[in-house]
Amino acid sequence: MAQDSVLSDELLHHLMAVGHVDVLVGVPTLNNAGTIRPVVKAVHQAFARYFPRDRSVLINSDGGSDDGTPSLVRNASADDTETVTVSHSLRTVHRISTPYHGVPGKGNALRQIMTAADLIQARAVAVLNADVTGITPEGVAALIRPVRDQQFDYVAPVYQRHPLEGPLVTQLVRPLMRAAYGWQVRDPVAPEFGCSHRFVSHCLEQDVWDTELGRVGIDLWVTAEALAKGFRCCQTGLNPHPATPTRTPFGELFAQVVDSAFACLERHAPYWLGRNGAEPMPLVSPPPTVAVEPPVVNGTRLTEAFALDVENLRSVLQDILSAETLASLEALAEKQPARLRYPDPLWASTVYQFLLAYRGGVMRREHIVQALAPLYLGRTGSFLRQYATSPEPLVDEALENLCREFERSKPDLVQRWNRV
Amino acid sequence: MAQMIANAIRQAGTNFVESLSVFLPRMVTTLAIIIVGWLIAMLLRTMVRAVAGWLRINVAAERFGVTPLLKTADLPPADVLLGAIVFWLVWLGFLLSGIDVLGFTSLQGLLASFWAFVPRLLLAVVILIIGFVVANFAWRATLLAAVNGRVPSPRLLSGAVRWLILILTGAMALEQIAVARTVVLTAFAIAFGALSLAVAIAFGIGGGGIAKRILEHQFPEQPRSSADEISHL
Repeated sequence: MAQDSVLSDELLHHLMAVGHVDVLVGVPTLNNAGTIRPVVKAVHQAFARYFPRDRSVLINSDGGSDDGTPSLVRNASADDTETVTVSHSLRTVHRISTPYHGVPGKGNALRQIMTAADLIQARAVAVLNADVTGITPEGVAALIRPVRDQQFDYVAPVYQRHPLEGPLVTQLVRPLMRAAYGWQVRDPVAPEFGCSHRFVSHCLEQDVWDTELGRVGIDLWVTAEALAKGFRCCQTGLNPHPATPTRTPFGELFAQVVDSAFACLERHAPYWLGRNGAEPMPLVSPPPTVAVEPPVVNGTRLTEAFALDVENLRSVLQDILSAETLASLEALAEKQPARLRYPDPLWASTVYQFLLAYRGGVMRREHIVQALAPLYLGRTGSFLRQYATSPEPLVDEALENLCREFERSKPDLVQRWNRV
Repeated sequence: MAQMIANAIRQAGTNFVESLSVFLPRMVTTLAIIIVGWLIAMLLRTMVRAVAGWLRINVAAERFGVTPLLKTADLPPADVLLGAIVFWLVWLGFLLSGIDVLGFTSLQGLLASFWAFVPRLLLAVVILIIGFVVANFAWRATLLAAVNGRVPSPRLLSGAVRWLILILTGAMALEQIAVARTVVLTAFAIAFGALSLAVAIAFGIGGGGIAKRILEHQFPEQPRSSADEISHL
């Protein structure tokens, strides 16, 4: 789509007034009145403290909030007087809040932000998540500095969080993407990132924006695209973000994330099929050492339904999994929920066989992804039961072993991938 | 008198020879049509099976849930069945054409009726295929949604959805080929009405608690809290 159809006349007018900038921070929003003010405040503090000589702009791309989010962004300056008295930006800090067109979603918002960044040739771009309140000026700066000062093209955040948190990332997305792409990215689905103008221009040229992946899986795609197309990537530590309850129900969230991961792997197959091992990604600044509380979970509820789910889904699973894997799952399901241990090799082969079924189209793709959800819950419950009371280093070690298991099983995946 | 009898016999003989001279070529033509038709039908069956194999019809049939149903009905795999349908349609066409050549008055119009029936039969087959596909899709979608949504008895629910669609499709196909139209329609209406009533009564009497639980689960008065409510991302 041409720039003029992504950028409204009003936004173009604003951007022309802003002119070329050094730093652009984009904040996609949709009904974030409860959390947007601290985010805007952190951005302004970051501009004033860390980039006072840079031409800076904050662009809020809003999906049609009806809770006054855009006006909160526009009027946030009155709340920030205490900040400006501490440190001044030597240039005018611009703030634009604009609606984007099309279906509400991160994809359209990001496209608008990137198109604007491309137009005003922003040297460094950071995209923030308006759903969390824990972002600090240091965090904003940490996403921008590696691009601005060290010529990195893509900066992925590393959040300080307990290893039992975010099991969809630790149990599935991280090991899968790490083994496939051959890079040790800690959080490939992070909603925040920093990037260069070169990377922005590249992303805008891709045909992903009007696809389902562009609509719901853009966070994952951005990371995967940076890795697969050889951009200079690094990671940077961010403060722990207080977890806000996700608005998306689990089933929908799981389907979006897994479908996006599988779709990325399909798009980038020519890159990752030839890669072996997993290189560490440079960590330009470690996450602040703050004690994090472990989640209050022990996996009991997640494993309770596993046996029944496997039994109920047998007729679907037998079209996806090999007879051997299905037999192992059924043997696992016969155990008491309290004794359920879903081993790493079985979990890796389960995920890979689902990926192959997705590629082969043995049934509708949404059904394949939905069928994986109960198995993921069983695996997550099993892991949480096993490590609920373990010290963090032990959990980290278990997660590292899981990633290595995915790497070990990759040659088999590659062999089968070429046959599908 | 004798002369008259001799003339009659001669006339009968002449008539017989004339009829035979007319019938024999027709008979030979009929046999030729049937044999050639059989050969063409065989050739077409082989070609259809080859094309079906190339198009991986059996894989598609497996994916859309047709194969298990064919096995249940003791029918051959989809490619063989498709070849057999083509074979019998073509050969029956040739057979009836051959019989038509014989010129039997009582069989006149049979061929026309057959060719009028073929499009309806094909439409019925198409309805059945679409029905199988839709039934299997609905079955799998219901099963997965029920399992992930923690709805009780997901297999029973999804199986009921599948069979309901298959029965509806079967009735539509039979209606299309006009086989016992009144009986099929009446039987279907009675069966469908009875089934709906039975389900409604059974759910109303025995499933009140389940309905309450489902509704409470879907529309909780207060946010659910549990030790295992975890942020997955």
